[in-house]
Amino acid sequence: MKALGLDIGTLTTKAVVLDDGNVLASAIIMSADMAESSARSAAEKALSQAGLSFDGNLHVVATGAGGKSVPFSQQHKAITTCLARGIYNLFPSVRMVIDLGAESMTVIKVNERGRLSDWGNQDKCAAGTGVFLQQVAKIMQMPLEQMAQLSLAGRPRADISNTCAVFAESEVISHIHRVPPTPKEEIIAGIYLSMVYRIVALCKRIGAERDVSVTGGVALNRGLVGILEEELGFKVLVPDAPQMVAALGAAILAKETVEKGPK
Amino acid sequence: MTISDQKVNKIDALLRACRLMLRMSKARPEPRKSEVLYYHMLADYYTRLLSAREEGKFVAAHTVFFPSEILYAMDIVPMHTETTSWMTALFLGQYADLLAAGAELGMKSEICSPHRGLAGAFNIGALPRPNVILWSNMVCDNTAKSGELLMRITGCPGFFLDHPFQYTEDEVNYFVGELDDMVRFLEEHSGRKMDWDKLSSIVAEMDRQIELLRQINKLRQAVPSPFHPQGFLELLTIDYLFAGQPEATEYLETLRQELAEAVRAGKGAVPQERFRLMTLFLPPMYLIGFLERISQEYGAVSVTEPFFCSWGEGRLDSSKPLESVARKSYMLPEMRMYGPLDDRALSEIVDSARQFKIDGAIYYADVGCRHTCATIRLFKDVLDRLDIPVLTLDCDVVDPTVTSEEEIRDKLERFFELLEDRKLS
Repeated sequence: MKALGLDIGTLTTKAVVLDDGNVLASAIIMSADMAESSARSAAEKALSQAGLSFDGNLHVVATGAGGKSVPFSQQHKAITTCLARGIYNLFPSVRMVIDLGAESMTVIKVNERGRLSDWGNQDKCAAGTGVFLQQVAKIMQMPLEQMAQLSLAGRPRADISNTCAVFAESEVISHIHRVPPTPKEEIIAGIYLSMVYRIVALCKRIGAERDVSVTGGVALNRGLVGILEEELGFKVLVPDAPQMVAALGAAILAKETVEKGPK
Repeated sequence: MTISDQKVNKIDALLRACRLMLRMSKARPEPRKSEVLYYHMLADYYTRLLSAREEGKFVAAHTVFFPSEILYAMDIVPMHTETTSWMTALFLGQYADLLAAGAELGMKSEICSPHRGLAGAFNIGALPRPNVILWSNMVCDNTAKSGELLMRITGCPGFFLDHPFQYTEDEVNYFVGELDDMVRFLEEHSGRKMDWDKLSSIVAEMDRQIELLRQINKLRQAVPSPFHPQGFLELLTIDYLFAGQPEATEYLETLRQELAEAVRAGKGAVPQERFRLMTLFLPPMYLIGFLERISQEYGAVSVTEPFFCSWGEGRLDSSKPLESVARKSYMLPEMRMYGPLDDRALSEIVDSARQFKIDGAIYYADVGCRHTCATIRLFKDVLDRLDIPVLTLDCDVVDPTVTSEEEIRDKLERFFELLEDRKLS
């Protein structure tokens, strides 16, 4: 029996197919309005890559914001549990994961057996999430990739003091319209730094422990990860596909269930 | 016209809610006798308060952890302000208008919500005007200022009962002096004399009640837990509202018997107990129904609440009633856990975790209570050392705008999943 892990996020939906512990295929698509159709599309894409189709020979575990709305999944698991399983599979030495998603910032602690031991999340404000960065990219009128590249040269970093996503946007706008305007790279680096302060505070709240990995779509942002490493004072581990870690964890949980067999 | 111009008498509504709860508890297929008694007592408490004015009774509004034994001994009708505000949130789900009325007084949302709401409630006449306001810094530092504000709003005379933090003989003597001053204040304003014999009887009754509370606590160590998931709220309300009253003794004796029978029969409060939890501080009152349901759904039972159920050692001596009231204040679980935070408090958390065989702890981090929130890290660290996970839930005891049921459900489900995963591994 094959194992399928699905992570239905607010922006993207990810699917991972496992067989005997090996990743057969994976897929990532933009999430649609309905979680079920997003999950089905991502699953079909991954399964077809693996030369498989939906049949009874598949155990599905769903996670993420839309994880509870997938009627064809046999189990729903919390994103925190899935992240722990996923990261342990990739980097067994990791004890802390900073997951930066589209609309969430979650920090988890993983024990030496790859089990979740604690977590904390920033759920009161969008500052520090992928959606916030997209908003900033709109204001800066440049793609996210270019922003990340520019930020590497951003010194000094502009002071973005607001802890609210909406007010932080106002601060960015005022930097742009200053006479003379604050250089763009300094503004971007300042935004990243303000996000990093929040991330580090969250890590400290649950007790930072090495090794640390960064996952989620925002982990692809080299500029932000660089500043995070500076503030933490050490290098972090970023998987090749950081957005796929929770889906991988869900697939591993599906595989574990298959191996245990019916109760 | 301001938002709060429409006056609503909350006591009347609370009384109706209590009576409804009483009817419902009686109508259960297998009514729990202690629960029936509990709602009876609540209904009586608010009936007395509602009819006090007509009957020419003297009413004293007092803040939390206040020695109401003194009031009962003087035949003064007590009005426990914080409990009344929790009941408003719990039974009526109508706290928003009281908070809005508090906001009209200029109270910011960061201030303790029961105190914001209380100020608002008195300001709009949702709570009856008492004859005096009594307040203390016992346990909660907020009340030191909150009581002053209530006095100003109601225009009532007031008395601030200063409670020392540390527990030494000198400080007990100081507090006895404070209590004595308060008795004189009450005698002067109410025209009633302290009935010292009655106070002695109340102290004797209180001594019995503390012993019963300790026995109940002991019974709750049983696996499975015999007490229902959020049952501790009844226990703390009993002491807050009915300290030293015979009906409280009856309730506690009944409950102890019920629990002893359940323990003998190996009967748990939830059908399949999976997670034994330590509750730290107070859950959101407006979500108690939901918390009860999710506890049943996941087999999660709060088995120990050190903040509210770990009574200190010692006995009360009815021949020294005022001194006993003073000593009781140091035996209060809240005083021992919120008071001077030393190794004793932390080791009690550890002892409770072991004795009650807990799987995890939930810290309800009330955003307005900085006093308790300061202990989150300390308690989490000591439990960490025992490899016991702690869920910190940011919430508010009465203000539903801080966190939603959905948010709490999501976090609780994650936590139960974590606990389950640990059991399986």
